[in-house]
Amino acid sequence: MRKDYEELLTHIKPKEPPTGLFDRIILAIKREQELRQTKRLLFSFLFLLVASFIATPLSWAILINQIESSGISYFISTALSDFGTFIALWQDFSLAILESLPITGMIVFAISLGMSVFTFRLFLYRKRLLLGYLMQSFA
Amino acid sequence: MKTYTDEQLITNYLKGNEESLEILIKRYLRPIYSFAFRFVGDSQTAEDITQEVFVKVWRNLKKPALSLSKGFDPKKGSFKTWIFHIAKNTSFDFLKKKKTIPFSEFENEEGGNKLTETLIDPAPLPDGLFERVHVGEILHTAMSRLAPKYRMVLFLRYNDHFTFREITEVLGEPLNTIKSQHRRAIIKLKGLLSDS
Repeated sequence: MRKDYEELLTHIKPKEPPTGLFDRIILAIKREQELRQTKRLLFSFLFLLVASFIATPLSWAILINQIESSGISYFISTALSDFGTFIALWQDFSLAILESLPITGMIVFAISLGMSVFTFRLFLYRKRLLLGYLMQSFA
Repeated sequence: MKTYTDEQLITNYLKGNEESLEILIKRYLRPIYSFAFRFVGDSQTAEDITQEVFVKVWRNLKKPALSLSKGFDPKKGSFKTWIFHIAKNTSFDFLKKKKTIPFSEFENEEGGNKLTETLIDPAPLPDGLFERVHVGEILHTAMSRLAPKYRMVLFLRYNDHFTFREITEVLGEPLNTIKSQHRRAIIKLKGLLSDS
């Protein structure tokens, strides 16, 4: 029975796909691929933007706080007010200043500053792509 | 040239071989387009559906099989049934948008004729059918007069050479429903062919 019907249905000619449909499909997939990459880029950008907005002032505050609580300002002001003594004891002074440097605060601030610069640079280089995607999404 | 199975092509594509996807698309372009055309009966819409199907396939291929059950999972079934299932859903969505056929045509049937459902139909095709001059035309007319769900079962079974189990995976209906739809479709088709 199956063979009979299979033979019967061969009399209905299957519809041939139009030429160019394959290329259209490949193009649509490529477009979708680009869209997905832009979306990923946008999310990364937004994440970095929010993170740097929070991290930069916070790390700045930490750095200032650490500078104030360390003796670095005292050493520097002493070195400036009594320059002769500073020159005479420059090795001890330099060591004392280095020891009192707020290393953690400086590293955290440098990272968050670097992140902000990177985010800004990312926006400058990809602004057309990002804004285009946003406009398309909200249109 | 070595012929790869669908699953091998998918594995190769996921490993970064872009050409594998193109081979897969070329392999299924005609069956999916024919399927969509049979579903909607309009070449422009069938083109759009075919494009949409392959974009959906691409989108879901990279999804892990466990996530949200949309990704392709070879353990659940073959790629062939998976892509036809996507094609059926996409065609259905297009039809719903266009509202060209009643929604009820595709719903599970309840209260069908029990006698017809359990009836075995051993009768052969009408005598001399193959000798008729315009058999293609006659068949085309008869098929177009069948309900879409019956038409689809017949085409999948005898044109795309699916097993009943595969048809259930494509259409997402129980095996017994598919079998009874198939029986009814055969009876109706034979009736229409005898009348013509």
